[in-house]
Amino acid sequence: MPKLNLFKLKVETGDVGLAEPVHFTINGHKLPFDDFKGGTGAGETFEGEFEIRSFAHSLTLVGPESGSWKIRKIHVEYDCENTQPYSASFGEVALDETTEVNIWQDPPLPTWDV
Amino acid sequence: MTSILKTLSALFSGSKSEINMPSAKLAEENNMPSTNQEPVSSPAEEPTAENFTEPPAQRRVIQAPVLVESSGEGQASEKVLIKAEPEEKGDQCKLMVNRPLFAGYSWFFKDFESAAGSPLAEKIFSSDLVDTLLIHNSTAIVTKFGGKMQGDWLPLAKELGQIIREVLESGSPLLSDDIIKNLPPEDQVRKDIQKVIDTEVNPGVAAHGGKIVLTSVTGNSVTIQMGGGCQGCSAADLTLKQGIHSSFRKAVPYVGAIYDETDHAAGMNPYYS
Repeated sequence: MPKLNLFKLKVETGDVGLAEPVHFTINGHKLPFDDFKGGTGAGETFEGEFEIRSFAHSLTLVGPESGSWKIRKIHVEYDCENTQPYSASFGEVALDETTEVNIWQDPPLPTWDV
Repeated sequence: MTSILKTLSALFSGSKSEINMPSAKLAEENNMPSTNQEPVSSPAEEPTAENFTEPPAQRRVIQAPVLVESSGEGQASEKVLIKAEPEEKGDQCKLMVNRPLFAGYSWFFKDFESAAGSPLAEKIFSSDLVDTLLIHNSTAIVTKFGGKMQGDWLPLAKELGQIIREVLESGSPLLSDDIIKNLPPEDQVRKDIQKVIDTEVNPGVAAHGGKIVLTSVTGNSVTIQMGGGCQGCSAADLTLKQGIHSSFRKAVPYVGAIYDETDHAAGMNPYYS
């Protein structure tokens, strides 16, 4: 598991938006985004980033305190130590007050043309 | 130091005045922490009905589908292009080819003898290092004898890539006609695998609170989920490879790829998180 220096998140909201600040958890600690733009209303796109500088045992996007948040797509860019930057995209998911969604992906395995 | 010597000397001589030196003073003189201090009252407030708040409920971590964003590189190429991807643990390597090797189906070759009649498998097993071979759609997954490092795979992966390329370019059949003709329908695969799960696998893992569920069958490839005590267990990989795979292959020899889609990190005891 590499050390995660920074991650950037882009969330496209579907037809049910989130009327609260966006929070994520890193290793179980719930935090807001330092730097963000856009919104989480229905059909809107939210973009945020956070400097972690730690090992990500878990990284999740937290659901609303009440109601539901329908997400169309999540795109995450990871900047890890000693690893080429990489990204992952996740499909549709609905979050509520009982759920959070995993947004961590390990770096891709090395491949060779043979 | 002098004080300690004096104390020890007094201890053996029986002089009480020196022995009764308070340990706090001894510690101060010798720069040691005291073990004889008055207990310090805790400043923490006692919980009362007024200041007590419920901790936040623990949320359930769910998995969103991971979208594969293919660049399409090589798909349209006339050349046979092959990428090798050794597994992190180093015990197997996936060779991904830009054309089908066994479209829609999979086949597991457990050794050189089982490759007889399948030109691609026979040539791959011509390398003494190859232990087993699984062919599924456009990938060949190889395990080898010895060596558990990712880097160890490079020379063998190059050799295998060359073999696959030569067989594909020759235009000869890749697999034996017997394999292709005798593939059973999906319903038969589902029924036979379910029987093994019900009669062999689940009674075995139930002793550890585990449970295996067959989630899908595609062609002769099956996907399972490990639940209960198996989900997140440190021995899940061993159970899967040495227990479940062996039982499935022994009872249902035509089963091809066996995939595990368990989210081990979400288990009750998540060793894998």
